[in-house]
Amino acid sequence: MSLEAVARKDFQDAVRSRWVVVLAALFSLLLSVAVYLLPRDASTSALFNSLIVRDLFVSLLVPLIGVVIAYNSIVGERTTGSIKLLLSLPHSRSDVVFGKVLGRATALGVPVAVSFVLPALVALVTPLSLELGVYLGYLLFTVVLGTAFVALAVGFSAAVDSQRIAVAGPVVVYLLSGPVWSVVQLPLQFFLAGQQFPGWLPLDSSGVFRLIRLVNPIESFKILTVEFVNGYLLAAGQAGTEAAGRYAVQVEVAALAMLAAWILLPPLLGLIRFEDADL
Amino acid sequence: MAAIELEGVTKRYGDVTAVSDLHLQVESGEVFGFLGPNGAGKSTTINMLLDFVRPTSGSVRVLSRDAQAESVEVRRRTGVLPEGYDVYERLTGRQHVEFAMRSKEVDGDVDDVLDRVGILDDADRRAGGYSKGMRQRLVLGMALVGDPDLLILDEPSSGLDPAGAKEMREIVRAEADRGATVFFSSHVLGQVESVCDRVGIMREGELVAVDSIEGLREAVGGEEQLVVTVDAASEDDVAAVRALDGVSAASTDGGTVTVSCASDAKTAVIAALEDAGVTVKDFSTQEASLEDLFLTYAEGGDAPDDAPVAGTEGGE
Repeated sequence: MSLEAVARKDFQDAVRSRWVVVLAALFSLLLSVAVYLLPRDASTSALFNSLIVRDLFVSLLVPLIGVVIAYNSIVGERTTGSIKLLLSLPHSRSDVVFGKVLGRATALGVPVAVSFVLPALVALVTPLSLELGVYLGYLLFTVVLGTAFVALAVGFSAAVDSQRIAVAGPVVVYLLSGPVWSVVQLPLQFFLAGQQFPGWLPLDSSGVFRLIRLVNPIESFKILTVEFVNGYLLAAGQAGTEAAGRYAVQVEVAALAMLAAWILLPPLLGLIRFEDADL
Repeated sequence: MAAIELEGVTKRYGDVTAVSDLHLQVESGEVFGFLGPNGAGKSTTINMLLDFVRPTSGSVRVLSRDAQAESVEVRRRTGVLPEGYDVYERLTGRQHVEFAMRSKEVDGDVDDVLDRVGILDDADRRAGGYSKGMRQRLVLGMALVGDPDLLILDEPSSGLDPAGAKEMREIVRAEADRGATVFFSSHVLGQVESVCDRVGIMREGELVAVDSIEGLREAVGGEEQLVVTVDAASEDDVAAVRALDGVSAASTDGGTVTVSCASDAKTAVIAALEDAGVTVKDFSTQEASLEDLFLTYAEGGDAPDDAPVAGTEGGE
């Protein structure tokens, strides 16, 4: 299958990039240290609930790895001319774009998965009892988050013919949804609370805030994982206060849909421009 | 059946017209040489056959399919050596050919392909370490995968040494014998003469001639150059030659007489010299050189004899 051929070639190519190896090693090392330093009676949920692991390592580092792996995926081939080799073979341009998403997501997933092995081994020699299901589930969510940023970067890479714009686009989205968001979310919440919303809007200020938060892929990831590691994901019953990390099922479904949209829409939009491009 | 049909094809980039109202038909099984100086529109035309760029107007059909709407089907049956490509630096030669086979959904022996293009010994090295010539061989190998009905080769000999260029010609010939149509571009004439059934010459985005090499030669005049070695010839002797039918030019340096004439006028020239009392020691004839021929079309005539066209290397 054409898409699979592109994905496989691209995986082989990207996974040999020095950058990927370095970032994955760094990620693995940090996670191992976090596991090692965890208090003796900690659970796997505690590990992934900890701000260091969840916010710093996973939600900030993995999207960045995704951008690094994917930003050059198409525009780089246009710059060097290898795209002509690729499109000399019977691949449609949409196979190229989605094959790239698949290939680069795998090129992210494999090192991330491998980098989850070392911390698991560390957990074996420390008193931390590792719940395998939670550990693997969290890994899966991590790869989905990374894939969202891979897809974003591939979308930009397909849409433009300048490497600078191809890297700037996803980096700006990354900064807004990661570091910038963590600084502005509280002030934003206060600001929205003081706003009067027009009557036709079926949302109050916390509803508007939740909507903005859901659009942010990293926040969608956090909503899903906090529910998952605590065993509440898609669980029926009354949602508690959000501060306690308990969300309504609709919010969780919306967060899943948002991540799916982040994975599908940027490559589609990029493809529309790529289809019309002269190489 | 036509393998390639271009009808009224024009491609503009902004104000620049790269290809203008091009009509061209290449028959199935033909070896067609697409000639012209750099920047004449050859690569743009090839890029339109492969849907790398889209024509501003006109219709492009390849293997009886629309080159744009059915491009994937076209490329499934086509092997391509593109211009201005690059290999995947981090992948080995073997991985490149495997990728081509998987893409074309054909089974085959990777070693056979690499052996045919002469890089089997380097199969497991990363292509980033290959020389220009080896890259060219690798991509030719990828093009041959799956015995395509059509081979499109853009400047196939660039980067190859003379031995490599010869191997390339042999492969082109073998593919043609198998029944494939071969369409290749070149600004190097030497490659063309020996392998092509027909040639087309592009100049400034327009096709200025399409014919067989012999046909072109006739069209240019079919003249030959006769070089006669004599004991001594005067300007008067040469004037007598110049007066003959079929002679367009004649000159002498005393020891030799050089005459441009139709091929059936040669005996008359020798006879005229002998009648004038000149002793003819030896003579030889040369056909109009291909370079002269090429330049006549490519540059619109009046080509200098020493124009450095044949033998130069490089892409568009």
